[in-house]
Amino acid sequence: MSLLWFSKNVLSKNSVLFNFRSISTTPQLQIKEIKEIQKGKELTIYGEIFKSPREPYVLNNNHSSACPVCASGLDIKHTDVLILSQFVRSDGCMLPRRITGLCRKQQKRLMPNLNPSWSKKDPKRRYGWKKFNKYFDESTIKC
Amino acid sequence: MSALKRVQQWATFARIWHVYDAAWQNPFESAQVLKKYLKGMHKPIYHPMNDCGDHVIVLNSAEIALPGDEWKKRVYFHHTGYPGGASWTLAWELHNKDPTMVLRKAVYNSMKGNLQRRYTMERLHIFPDANVPKELMGNVSNQIRQVRPIPKRLDHYPEEDVTQFPKVIDYPKDYVVK
Repeated sequence: MSLLWFSKNVLSKNSVLFNFRSISTTPQLQIKEIKEIQKGKELTIYGEIFKSPREPYVLNNNHSSACPVCASGLDIKHTDVLILSQFVRSDGCMLPRRITGLCRKQQKRLMPNLNPSWSKKDPKRRYGWKKFNKYFDESTIKC
Repeated sequence: MSALKRVQQWATFARIWHVYDAAWQNPFESAQVLKKYLKGMHKPIYHPMNDCGDHVIVLNSAEIALPGDEWKKRVYFHHTGYPGGASWTLAWELHNKDPTMVLRKAVYNSMKGNLQRRYTMERLHIFPDANVPKELMGNVSNQIRQVRPIPKRLDHYPEEDVTQFPKVIDYPKDYVVK
């Protein structure tokens, strides 16, 4: 009897768990939002593209042929973390060229060494001489 | 002698205590700065025979930074005096043993080997971290400027500064931000 009650209880709980709509108003891909507008008898459902949070802060590229980094005239070094983080996914990997839209030279030049905050790679716990602070003279860095 | 002149006399010949944060600093560049304070060369009354050096407290000597791969290239030599008594210690091995030794040797070697050097070194107080006895910190009246800027990590910036920093590129329209 108790077993039957238990199974019933679990099943009813499960049925509650799986009872959701397959179409959500806040999509997981974060590209479009589904909106509904009711005008009298007419119902319009459309997908609205999300605005990028970067849009108000993007530099305008006055050169039609140059890539964004070449056009900006910036000499980006490994310490410019606020710039490098713009070309990086949340897990610290560099974005591919089809997304960054940089020229081949600049894409190869930018090799960010940024760890996400949840990374377990603590520099203090490296082995031997690698755990101590080191710096690189920017005038000696090639490219 | 007026009261003003008397105080001026005391202030001129008093030993001043300076503090220096060695985090992310090159010990050999820092030594060139520190030795001037230790010998009193920043004072107009300086003379080699004039004992006018100041005290310097160095914090965070465990956090010093060396350029490139110098941690494994720089070698400290020691000889016991017996045959086969030579030993070579890499900088990172020495720093593992004693995190104040690289900086202390840098300051010691930056000065000429005369009779004053040992006494000048007595006025240098190095601490591997920021835990300095209160009676020492109570004497401090000046902070020495660091020789190189401390690199700032991305997670040390506030969230607003990162989002509101001018952006070089925007994502494509159909890109799913991960």
